[in-house]
Amino acid sequence: MVAKTMGTEVSGLEEFESIVRVLRFFAATRNYSFLDRIGNALNPETVEVALRDALRTFSSIYDASPADEKGLKYYEYEEGRRIRLPAKPSEGEVAAFLRAVWQDVGVARRVAIMAMSVPAREER
Amino acid sequence: MGVVTFLSVGVRFEANVEALNMVEVSGNYARHRRVPYVITEGGRLKVVYVPAVSGESIAHGYQVALAEEAKALGLPVCSYCSIGEFLKSMDEEHAAEKFDGKVPKLSGRSKKEELVSVVGEIESGIVRKCVVEDVGGFLYAGNPPVKRTSRFMVSYALPIKSVATYATLEPQLHARHARTAGERREGAAEQMIYYVETGTAVYGFTFNLDFAGVGVSSYSGRALVDDVKKRRLAAARALYRVLSSQGFGAKLSRFLPGGGAVAMVATLTERPFTVTSPIYDGFAESTRERLERVKATFGEKGYYFEMGKDGLKTPEDVLSAVIETLKKEGTI
Ligand SMILES: [Zn+2]
Repeated sequence: MVAKTMGTEVSGLEEFESIVRVLRFFAATRNYSFLDRIGNALNPETVEVALRDALRTFSSIYDASPADEKGLKYYEYEEGRRIRLPAKPSEGEVAAFLRAVWQDVGVARRVAIMAMSVPAREER
Repeated sequence: MGVVTFLSVGVRFEANVEALNMVEVSGNYARHRRVPYVITEGGRLKVVYVPAVSGESIAHGYQVALAEEAKALGLPVCSYCSIGEFLKSMDEEHAAEKFDGKVPKLSGRSKKEELVSVVGEIESGIVRKCVVEDVGGFLYAGNPPVKRTSRFMVSYALPIKSVATYATLEPQLHARHARTAGERREGAAEQMIYYVETGTAVYGFTFNLDFAGVGVSSYSGRALVDDVKKRRLAAARALYRVLSSQGFGAKLSRFLPGGGAVAMVATLTERPFTVTSPIYDGFAESTRERLERVKATFGEKGYYFEMGKDGLKTPEDVLSAVIETLKKEGTI
């Protein structure tokens, strides 16, 4: 069981990068609740509900944040500290993620782990 | 046989359209608390998410009622608990009023005997000055730290199992008006719209109250006050009040739930005994059978009360019968 979840599949997480970015945004603003629910989920239903809540909250923040002249959106999470907002994940990315989670709930845990790590390269 | 000192109550209540427990407000959206729930469907186990009310929310309502009842009986309640801010004696600042500003401290090169005596002094000082912290416990995080465990326990309120899938959550649209004439701020909309998630379900929860621990030290087991019976009476009356008025939950100002208690059982025992959780069908019969078994096994006293039986028509009848029995037994 353990062997199956290691090696090859970890590199396959790139297709969920936009979801990792949204979760990374919550980690950066110290709102760990969605990350913890997704990372600790024991079944796919839990991931679905947590992701829905995370995207709902992210939508609220995204839509309420003003864009600069380049069209980039920033969120001020503390006095004087702002962070660039990632793009909303596409419908296809979310669907692919949920499909993967229904096959192996461990995917959710690994996505949550990625979100808490330092990104390997500068993100767009 | 001894005295009955342990009360356990199981309640089922119907709440139509309520916002009893809100968590996480994001933007203009306030979310109702929901929890994962395992149910059986077609012989298979399945996880569903249902609206829920945390035990903390019910405990808050109970302690508000306790502060009121204690004051009405002329018992001491500290200034924070009096206004429903249950910070308890969490640090030196909040414990100060119980000790006229001088909270006992360790001298530095502390010996074990000194620790035991200072801890005892702090606990008894707080218990004497505040019935809410006596019954509801506290955690003093000073030097030395002192913990008093709550004498009451309360479960989450969860939709009853057999109809859990009929529980619903729905966002309701609300509008808040801004001033239109005169000094309207630039950019402020005339109406702010926001959504509040409402829940509807038949909920069940359990409440236990251990009268034996009221006014008694957690450390030495000795009585700390001489008005123990009066304090127990306040604790019992507070439960009556909170169950009768459904005085718990968030947003009661505009979301006072339609509905009320549809079933209730209560037991009084000498030692801890918890009623079968009301989320299960047949919880009343199960409680009665289990209680009979416990009485036979330990040779202890035990009383059983059920709404709808023995002339107890309403929740108030059940709770009055409980209080009458406690008086008859000399507990309160
Ligand atoms: Zn107090």
